[in-house]
Amino acid sequence: MSLIEINHVTFQYPGATVPSLSDVSLNIEKGDFIAIMGGNGSGKTTLCKLLNGLIPHYYVGDIEGEVIVDKMKTLESKVTDLSGSVGYVYQDFENQLVRAKVIEDASYSPLNFGYPDYLERGKKALEKVGLKGKDDEYIWELSGGQKHLLALAGAISLEPGILIVDEPVAQLDPQHAKALYDVLKWLNEKEQTTIIVIEHHTEFISEYCKNVVLMADSKLIWKKSVREGLTRINELRERQIYPPQITQAAYALTEKEDRTLPINLSEATEYFKSFNLTECFQPYLTPVPNHTGEKIVDIQQVDFSYKMISRQKKKILKDVSLTIHKGDRIALVGNNGAGKSTLMRLMTGIEKPEFGDVLLKNINTKGVAPESFADMVTYIYQNPEEMFIEDSIQADIEYFLKARKVKDYSETVEKIIDLFQLREIKDRDGRLLSGGQQRRASLAIGVAMQPSLILLDEPTANLDIGTRKHIAQFIQSLKNEAEAVIIATHDMQLVSEWANRIIVMKDGQIIHDGDRASVFSNKALLNSAGLTPPQIMELSQLLGTKLAYSIEEFVAYAQESKEEVTFDGYYKEAARVY
Amino acid sequence: MDITKKLQGFISVEQLKIEVLNAAYGNTDTTIAKLDSRTIFMWYVFYAIFPWLTHSWIVLTGMFLMLVAMIYLARVSYLLLFLFVFGLVGQGSMVLGVSLFFGGNLTTILPLLMFELKLAIISLAGLIAFSTMEPEKLSDGLLKIGVPAQVSFSISYGYRMLPTLIEEYHHVFMSFRLRGKAPDQHGLLYWRTVLYFMTLIVKSFYPLMLSSAKRARTTVESLESRGSLYSFKNPAVKKVKLGYMKFTYKDGLFGLFNLLYVIMLFMLAVALH
Repeated sequence: MSLIEINHVTFQYPGATVPSLSDVSLNIEKGDFIAIMGGNGSGKTTLCKLLNGLIPHYYVGDIEGEVIVDKMKTLESKVTDLSGSVGYVYQDFENQLVRAKVIEDASYSPLNFGYPDYLERGKKALEKVGLKGKDDEYIWELSGGQKHLLALAGAISLEPGILIVDEPVAQLDPQHAKALYDVLKWLNEKEQTTIIVIEHHTEFISEYCKNVVLMADSKLIWKKSVREGLTRINELRERQIYPPQITQAAYALTEKEDRTLPINLSEATEYFKSFNLTECFQPYLTPVPNHTGEKIVDIQQVDFSYKMISRQKKKILKDVSLTIHKGDRIALVGNNGAGKSTLMRLMTGIEKPEFGDVLLKNINTKGVAPESFADMVTYIYQNPEEMFIEDSIQADIEYFLKARKVKDYSETVEKIIDLFQLREIKDRDGRLLSGGQQRRASLAIGVAMQPSLILLDEPTANLDIGTRKHIAQFIQSLKNEAEAVIIATHDMQLVSEWANRIIVMKDGQIIHDGDRASVFSNKALLNSAGLTPPQIMELSQLLGTKLAYSIEEFVAYAQESKEEVTFDGYYKEAARVY
Repeated sequence: MDITKKLQGFISVEQLKIEVLNAAYGNTDTTIAKLDSRTIFMWYVFYAIFPWLTHSWIVLTGMFLMLVAMIYLARVSYLLLFLFVFGLVGQGSMVLGVSLFFGGNLTTILPLLMFELKLAIISLAGLIAFSTMEPEKLSDGLLKIGVPAQVSFSISYGYRMLPTLIEEYHHVFMSFRLRGKAPDQHGLLYWRTVLYFMTLIVKSFYPLMLSSAKRARTTVESLESRGSLYSFKNPAVKKVKLGYMKFTYKDGLFGLFNLLYVIMLFMLAVALH
């Protein structure tokens, strides 16, 4: 008998017109590490909520079929009976933390079930996730990554045999995501916990998971081993899921879709050896600062700190100087907490520097209200919901123009609505839209202000990969809308394809300012700033070939060297004959 | 730099957050904070009821001075103290003004002042009692004296959400400012600017309410699956949770000291009459 058995389950949320799961059957064995892939609305989350009994006990809808989890029939048991067997980490994990202190939250479930040793259980869970010694900290003092780990600790405090984690990578920067997956791996190997992740990032799936499930349109398409699943390139692409870059590259070169395709880096280095790619010495490039164009922002030796709850000051920026010119498309990169958002907020006039000056088009932000820079700068929040201040998208886009009594504003608004494909949803409340729609709306709100400088904070975070590609296209078009654009991001693909200048930050300082060649050729810099380059770039580095920024570049390069080799061969053949 | 900007720096949302959290979670290492929450409840009830039973200026003033000393010991947050003084002075001067306006004199004012003093004692005692207890301690204490678990949970959860809500409010408020337009002229007595900010302060609450409603979904699901609803009905949980609470000699000393002090005040009052 399997640990989890789902037999022919069909479920429809109350009020919905179509079922969210239709005739789904799935068995998961004990000790598995399984990923569930699928586009938005394919039923992944619904499937997972079936396992901890929230469906059908909390969401009372129409349900058919049978679910057996850890020998319990979920339809007949209570949610609390299942709590001991299934832990759940939500996508919006912050809302899952209900107590003020770290130890209180970690020991919350054991306390609720009346275990006298609840504190020890909480402590043990904290130790497993690597939060030892943080017991008495308040949760609002934790970083995003630590909060995620705490949510995980709370979920495993009852030592459940099954752990479900909903889209961990979407919320974290690459280093934290890796740290989280390492904890999951440890739990899987050392404690035989069965791990179920909802995940789109196939690079993580290939590195950590054993099996993979594909869902689409409320149906379970298949369950396969990771190798078999991830090498079904065309089927995945059709479903807007992108196999690892190296797998795609290998497929593009061989056009053979089978299990021989590499799915991780070490396999790929072996695999491509047979291609005899010409090595190419990659010189270390020094940054060449670009000092042409009109100055838009001038940041002079700025320090910034904020007051913590203990009333102590915490330094965020230390002696930062930076000038931004017309035509700059800047990617601001670095780990969470490096000071990227703060630097951007200083450029809006919302925050004022502690020491030093910030000049926007030669006006010092000190002593001037942020409203007066609104014509010049737009800041697009990381969480688009915080930008929706009206009750419809259209009203939000109009807000700025109306406040300034711009004549014929409706014309501009109409144009922008079309540009960002918002025609059909323009009357809806922004908070009720999907993640991708919210992003598009927030970009539209920003562009409607017709600024000289657009600042985007993590515009592709929290999106599935299909939507991310879609949003990236809109970001490409922004360069026509403003004199300069700055994006703070962890998305190295976006960085390498879009930016003409990359600024790397670490611990409140700018440690590098240059173009993509100077950043990605500098291994030491990447390591120290915690940047993870796209997989295909890592591969080209490992193989010692020319640095490839995209799959297409790599494939083109490989084909070129193949021709060279063939040509070489002909030449030798000719030499032998004569 | 003009006054409004200085004020903005002083009364910023950030500062408010720091003050509120300090009032709730700060100063947990004071003598009074180490007492059992039930002792503090009893002490508070005594100070809330007793002033109504006496007319002696000496007793009331003595109690008031005692509380002032305790405010110092309990390190009550400045924000709360400011609100207290502001409220007291505001109300006091209003009552005074009204009574003078209607032809009152010293004899009419004195009872009013006594009433104010009694109010001050009660509110000061409340300030000390509730700001010296962390929300967790308060909710555990309430649970112990028989308040339903749902109520005590709501208190501690409410405080846990406060910083998140304040931060989100701040963001929404800034959204308004980043896209809005401040009045070009301040107007007489800054009325335009004041009106502009007042409107924003109110408007910023609406988006906050909607997004809180949205985030509550995950919270409620999580509470359900982490067994908190189950725990409300389980007496064993209460026992485990409150196991740490017990009276110590400190509680005894504190009670005795307060009792002796009040008796002394009465003796003093009798002696002086």
